[in-house]
Amino acid sequence: MTWMTRNWTMSGIIKGLTVTLKHVLHIGDRPTVTVQYPYERMKVAPRFRGLHAVDEDACIGCGICDTNCPNGSIRIVKHGTRWYPQVNIGMCMFCGYCVDVCPMNAMKMTGNYELADYTRESLVYGPDRLLFKKEVKQ
Amino acid sequence: MLYSGMWTGDTMTNAYELIINILTAIGVYDTIFGVFKSYGMEFVLKLIIVLVTLAVLFGFVLVTVMFLTWMERKVAAMVQSRYGPMVTGPRGLLQPVMDGIKLIGKEDIVPAKADRFVFNLAPYLAFVPAILVFVPLPFGESLIISDLRVGLLYIIAISALSPISILLAGWASNNKYTLLAAMRAVAQDISYTLPLALTAIAVVMLTGSLSTVDIVNAQSGTWFGIIPKWFIFLQPLAFILFLIASIAEMGRIPFDFQESESELIAGFFTEYSGMKFAMYFLAEYAHLFAVSGILVTIFLGGWNGPVLPGIPVVITSLVYFILKTYAVVFFAMWLRDTVPRIRIDQLLNIGWKIMIPLALLNLIVTGFLITAGVMR
Repeated sequence: MTWMTRNWTMSGIIKGLTVTLKHVLHIGDRPTVTVQYPYERMKVAPRFRGLHAVDEDACIGCGICDTNCPNGSIRIVKHGTRWYPQVNIGMCMFCGYCVDVCPMNAMKMTGNYELADYTRESLVYGPDRLLFKKEVKQ
Repeated sequence: MLYSGMWTGDTMTNAYELIINILTAIGVYDTIFGVFKSYGMEFVLKLIIVLVTLAVLFGFVLVTVMFLTWMERKVAAMVQSRYGPMVTGPRGLLQPVMDGIKLIGKEDIVPAKADRFVFNLAPYLAFVPAILVFVPLPFGESLIISDLRVGLLYIIAISALSPISILLAGWASNNKYTLLAAMRAVAQDISYTLPLALTAIAVVMLTGSLSTVDIVNAQSGTWFGIIPKWFIFLQPLAFILFLIASIAEMGRIPFDFQESESELIAGFFTEYSGMKFAMYFLAEYAHLFAVSGILVTIFLGGWNGPVLPGIPVVITSLVYFILKTYAVVFFAMWLRDTVPRIRIDQLLNIGWKIMIPLALLNLIVTGFLITAGVMR
């Protein structure tokens, strides 16, 4: 007598069909959530840990970021007359320790996450690509 | 059908006569016929017109298949809160063209231990029946390649050919997954062709004819001026059984055992690549459209619909047929994105223990009602 207990109305399928139809017709709070990536980008969080940036005037080249880097991806190199960190993005795990330990608050992380490149050499970001000049407040 | 002499333009029952009528209306048919007759080669003209109708059908099927692949991806995307293809062409409409170009450019790999001849033969055996099914399908009034007197039987017989192709492909690939999928697909196809045919017979009992045109004509008109005389209202159980059986016959979710990705990689065409894979793809979607068209023809009134004044009935009937067919296609895609796959033993249980007894019951009740004079 299993036929008596069977769900002959197929109510489960009909319920499911209703839910999917609501998604198709955008009934209720069911928007299209995809971001069309190359054409539009999602807004990253303010504390997003992307590519580093070093304040040209504040950095004193002390090397504390170098010693604290867990992956050893930071080196202090000479740039012009002063010493600045050089970050190897290929080894970096974006933990943010370098930003935390910087005594002069010279290091920060930007929201730039499109860091894919063609060669390993180009993943080494020297001071020429990391430095930025803070705008002086009058 | 033999036509001798000039065309008089009295009857118009299929695409061949439609073309002749159009040519006559333009006023060029007599001249063309005269030219061919002066060389004693009237049959060449007939052959050319038949070939033109077949070419139109082939082009229509190809364009439809391209559109259906796009539609499948779009419907799936809409259900899953995505966009789907958006880059190539407006709203990604040209994506199937790019896919086709990509598939043509792919290397055609034959497995080392495969049965080469059968392996190469199988895609064509899948593709040709998928096109042949369209021959007795009425796209609109007089828009039919050939109004066979055994149209419905022809359709069921042709769609019953697909297990052969599947089994050949699965066996010739020399791969355990393809063989398993082919075995499953054949078991499924055979067990679901029976309810498909049995429910179609219930409709044939109502019309007394296997010709698709007769079935469509029997559904013209309305009851009480409101309800259209479609067989879905006379045969609701048969309609549901036919819908389920045709979805199983197409091999779509929830019955897609021929290509259950999570279990059997890609099913029986795992080893196929390039153009042969494209042929299977084409056959699958052509089959989807054909089966939806058959469902519309049998149960949803075919090309019947309200006649609009001022527009030729050939055009309105084509539009009605296409609209109804796409509604059924949309339902199949919608169902695919909603329900999960059932188990193979559940599938066979449903087929043999529920669908066939219900189809037989429907047949008996229909027979009683017709004999008692309640129906028709």
